Amino acid sequence: MDAVQISHVTKTFGSVTAVDGLSLTVPQGSIYGFIGPNGSGKTTTMRMIVNIFYPDRGEIRLFGDGRPETSTDFIGYLPEERGLYQRMTVQALLEFYGELRSGHGVKAEVANWLERLGLASRASDKVETLSKGMTQKVQFIATVIPEPKLLILDEPFSGLDPVSAEAIRSAILDLRRRGVTIILSTHDMHLAESLCDYILMIFRGRKVLDGTLTSIQDQYGEDTIRVTADGGVAAVESLPGVEQIRDLGQVQELRLTRGADPQEALRALVAKARVTSFSLTKPSLYDIFMRIAGPAAEEANHASA
Amino acid sequence: MRVHKVLTIAKRDYIATVRTKAFLFGLVVAPILFGGGSIGMSFLNGKPDLADRHIAIIDHTGVVAGALVSAVREKNERELFDKKTHRQIEARYVFEVIAPAADPASSKDQLLALSGRVRSKRLVAFLEIGKDALRPPKPGDDADDFDLGTSKRTNPDTGVAYYTNAGGIDEMRRWLSGPISDGVRLARLTQFGIDIERNRDLAASVRIDGLSLLERDEKTGAVREARKRSELEVLVPAFTAVVLVMIVMVGSAPMLQSVTQDKSQRIVETLLGAASPFELMTGKVLGSVGVSVTSSLFYVIAGVAAVNALGVAGLLPLTIIPWFYAYLLTDVVMLCAFAAALGACCGTPQDAQNFAIVLLMPVLLPAFMLVTVLRQPNGALATAMSLVPPFTPILMLLRQALPSGVPAWQPWVGLAGALAFAAVTVWAASRIFRVAILMQGKPPKLAEAVRWALKG
Repeated sequence: MDAVQISHVTKTFGSVTAVDGLSLTVPQGSIYGFIGPNGSGKTTTMRMIVNIFYPDRGEIRLFGDGRPETSTDFIGYLPEERGLYQRMTVQALLEFYGELRSGHGVKAEVANWLERLGLASRASDKVETLSKGMTQKVQFIATVIPEPKLLILDEPFSGLDPVSAEAIRSAILDLRRRGVTIILSTHDMHLAESLCDYILMIFRGRKVLDGTLTSIQDQYGEDTIRVTADGGVAAVESLPGVEQIRDLGQVQELRLTRGADPQEALRALVAKARVTSFSLTKPSLYDIFMRIAGPAAEEANHASA
Repeated sequence: MRVHKVLTIAKRDYIATVRTKAFLFGLVVAPILFGGGSIGMSFLNGKPDLADRHIAIIDHTGVVAGALVSAVREKNERELFDKKTHRQIEARYVFEVIAPAADPASSKDQLLALSGRVRSKRLVAFLEIGKDALRPPKPGDDADDFDLGTSKRTNPDTGVAYYTNAGGIDEMRRWLSGPISDGVRLARLTQFGIDIERNRDLAASVRIDGLSLLERDEKTGAVREARKRSELEVLVPAFTAVVLVMIVMVGSAPMLQSVTQDKSQRIVETLLGAASPFELMTGKVLGSVGVSVTSSLFYVIAGVAAVNALGVAGLLPLTIIPWFYAYLLTDVVMLCAFAAALGACCGTPQDAQNFAIVLLMPVLLPAFMLVTVLRQPNGALATAMSLVPPFTPILMLLRQALPSGVPAWQPWVGLAGALAFAAVTVWAASRIFRVAILMQGKPPKLAEAVRWALKG
């Protein structure tokens, strides 16, 4: 059974179409990553799944025939813009959110999660005394108590230091192992690549990519060269068959034009400089993202319009 | 609607409010200020200013001043001292008769000089008795004798002019009106050749005693005698209405701030992930109702104890208490739903401050009308206003609590109207709340909010 089934959903705000005819199937027990530029419709889609917004057209089904309005009890939602009651103690706050969703006491679960994320000693402290990282951990715990069937996380790693981010990442993976379906949005393409089973890219309200990382990369083929050569970016300029250069500092990433021969580019490069490494790969998610939504794509869109 | 969510939100909001120092402070301090003010007023009423009050009289008739001084002396003798303790309880009025000026120009100077003496506190007022003051007004005479545009007297020769700079409620003028009328009447009688000393009864004022109605005891059948009416018969019901105003304000005003705070601190979206907007709003309203009921219990218990201690328990029938709570709950639900919608429309606490006066209008307007209703509790205006749903809780309660009472159908019709209005307010507010709560930026315009209420 699919955890989420979105069919032809459209949501508009005045004259702005935030989500345009979106269809999506999220398999149960998977981690689905939503990527896309700011304002592309990720948060609106999440809010519709959680029943904060109602679709203008189309429908959303959860775990078979469940409707969002009757399913909020088993959804955990971490919004992008977070806020907690500052004057409550951590313990009281988490019990409040747990009871709000479940209707029963959640003391034991609160204690477990506080212990797990290293906050047990702060249980009786007021939220206003916590650091930003601690507050975000508390917000995460408030989202997963009681354990939901569907967890929706809007930018869960935003603003977290590496240690806190790792703790949350580990918790997400653990929840997935226990069968929880997770939808998360992120601007961190490396994280999406490493964490998500499926990736959805929304751009201007429309779905532009949907599938596993491999299936998405397969659409583009092996058209990317990663190279390290003496002279850096100067060495890779004007190579035959290369349409775009991305300078990463020590490494340069070259995108080949369709049908170009990478061997020809290698020969030309060796003739100009000493080459330390040269590899032909599929494009990264970041690269794919930029091809769709980057400045060059924007210019191309404007030109074609 | 899932009840457990509503109750969980209500419980949190309730505890968050009643545990604050501000709530406890308000609960204790408000009645102290209120009660302290009343005690202070009654203390000051019991300690009147007993300094002599000097008043000058210019008498153009030549005969009224003497009679007036004599009438004042009689009133002084009657009211100056407490009959039991013989202690002075009123200020003595002392008159200084001044001969009128010879011509109109020096007359103005004379009035100016006397005005100066009032300003310098050597006099409290001065009277000018017109030369035609003895002539009673005839039918058709201008009763007002003032120019509407300039507010100057149009016929200074008739009547008595009373010049003073006394501020606020001029008790002195009320006190003097009796002796002045008596004095003029005595002068008129003398003019007609009637010997006042032998016919004093002709000019004697008649005392009017205010009494309650007689009633039959339902159990024994005995007739209860009429008793002297007390000012408390009005004050206790008025105080009850003021307490209702106070509790409703204390219960509903924080709602606006709370919703705005939840919105500006980004708490709302997390809550909406677990509860629907209607559940969230209902929970918050219920929390505020709890706060109001808590504070009302405190006030009601304290109020009942106070009226018992003062021995005036009979002035406020206990049957008013169920009505008090019916009106309280209706008003708090109505205002809290309104506050939730307003709070959802606010982007910042600044916006909430600007909207606060709009929120309190349904309480402040009837509060401003309390005196009007007290004057004529069963007049057309009081009846009509107490049947206007947002005003019903406060004005109908006051009318019911007054000894005159109201026709039995009116409270029921008023309450039904108020309940219906509260239901519509909750319905409309929940629609506005749902749309506005996640919006950022400037508050919506009124037309936009109305459209949300109507179309959702």
